[in-house]
Amino acid sequence: MSGPILAIETSCDDSCAAVLAGDGSILSNVISSQSIHDRYGGVVPEIAARHHLELLTPAIDSALAQADLTLGQIDRVAVTQGPGLIGALLVGVGQAKAIAAARSLPLVAVDHLQGHVAANFISPQPFEPPFICLIASGGHTLLARVEDHSSFVTLGETLDDAAGEAFDKGARMLDLPFPGGPALEALAATGDAEAFDFPTARNVKGCDFSFAGVKTALLYAIRDLGEKEVELRRADLAASYQQAIVEALTDRLSRALEADGGDRVAIGGGVAANGPLREQVEALGVNSHIPARDLCTDNAAMIASAARFLPDCSHQAALALDAYPSGAKR
Amino acid sequence: MGDTPVVLAFDTATAATVVGLSVSGELVCELADRPTSQERPRHAEQLLSLCEQALAEAAVGWDEIDRIGVGIGPGTFTGLRIGAATGQGLAQANGIELVAVSTLQALALPARIAEPELQVAAVGDARRGEAFIAAWAPDGKQVVADQACPPQQLVAALAADGAPSIAVGDGALIFRKELESGGIAVPADSSSLHQLAGAALCQLATTSNPANAGALVPHYVREPDAEISLQARKESK
Ligand SMILES: [Zn+2]
Repeated sequence: MSGPILAIETSCDDSCAAVLAGDGSILSNVISSQSIHDRYGGVVPEIAARHHLELLTPAIDSALAQADLTLGQIDRVAVTQGPGLIGALLVGVGQAKAIAAARSLPLVAVDHLQGHVAANFISPQPFEPPFICLIASGGHTLLARVEDHSSFVTLGETLDDAAGEAFDKGARMLDLPFPGGPALEALAATGDAEAFDFPTARNVKGCDFSFAGVKTALLYAIRDLGEKEVELRRADLAASYQQAIVEALTDRLSRALEADGGDRVAIGGGVAANGPLREQVEALGVNSHIPARDLCTDNAAMIASAARFLPDCSHQAALALDAYPSGAKR
Repeated sequence: MGDTPVVLAFDTATAATVVGLSVSGELVCELADRPTSQERPRHAEQLLSLCEQALAEAAVGWDEIDRIGVGIGPGTFTGLRIGAATGQGLAQANGIELVAVSTLQALALPARIAEPELQVAAVGDARRGEAFIAAWAPDGKQVVADQACPPQQLVAALAADGAPSIAVGDGALIFRKELESGGIAVPADSSSLHQLAGAALCQLATTSNPANAGALVPHYVREPDAEISLQARKESK
């Protein structure tokens, strides 16, 4: 077993650094959130990148301090290579490469989605493969079959918006602040989820997702109700909308389990922090693993966890490592 | 200079990736990757490799560096951040000093040494049809602050109160016609004065004051587009 891993994650708007012990237990997990994006109604890539440059060094210092370690006691450095916002990723990649080179430490390049899968491997309750994993966030929605610790097979993806994007857009239609997910969930808690019958894209074949229909349905419902009625029924609209998204997610999860014959599921990504989704995954009645909320949303501990099972970059590859954006092939 | 014997300085604000290494004020190695105008910058791939190559040529280890100098622009946002993130990481790794170097000042330095009687303007390609400019009087005083400037305002911005003036940099080549029509001389395209040099970076890094490792902020000059449109929306209300 190797020693502690320092990991860095900057794929979106959180500047994250963490230290994981060789046995996969968390020594520190620092998440520096950039609340600045609220005023723009969404994450602005250029502004995210600027803030990473200011927040990342202190985040790394805190992660080492909280783990009570110095860089001299770190064995490997891991970093998210992609996919994500390219300008944001490059800050983390640049800094991780420099630390690794200057300390003669091996560097591990980690795929962000593999990181979400690996959040399930973190001690003290690691969930062992094989299992089906649902990853849902503002940037991605996919179902994966996880057969080992170092890779996954994609079973289905979203054909349009990501689940988190659907939450954000619905929240905006209901005049809720960004980020929309938590605000919509809070409003939905006081509403009737059966009040409106929003579509769950059951006609989409296999394990793929589509959230365009539910989004349009909400838009039409708001238009048809009229301003006054919408004001009275915002909680019902939010609850029904959330219900449709959660149902679409768990429905595909069931399909994947059926097709695969397995009985083990795990979830990850920012949307996995959604209460009703967590409840309904548990209600599937299979062996399910749901990481703590701060391990579902973007964090560096999951990147370190993935790195435990991945090879080091060669020396030359580490020096020349480049990030890859969303939509690019690995 | 005895305090800072080994200085590694680099710049990624322009399309080029430029690295210099000096020991006790003497340049020992200078390396650069300069893409053609058709090629994309290769900062992420080249920067650390060139640094390590420079260290190897000078037989200096990472842990023997006393100070890191980073070009903070103005220049392309992504390039600036790759340089700044790399500098922060290197400084943090071994607890060494980090200093900010003005890219335009470094660009102007060789011309100021070659032409001490002239006012020297550094003119960088700012894309979007504009130039990043700054200028220094013969007495060493910066007379035009770092800024983005459209071509039709170049001559007015760089006017030298009748004193003779030259302009250098990739932007000076792009806007040669505008500059020369305003009486500002531009050296031949092939002149090395147009290229950012590792030696100039090292020289400025040696004489600059150290920054806080976590506080090396690029000189963006321009606001992010989202901020500009947010302000415009506020003003129109
Ligand atoms: Zn994520």
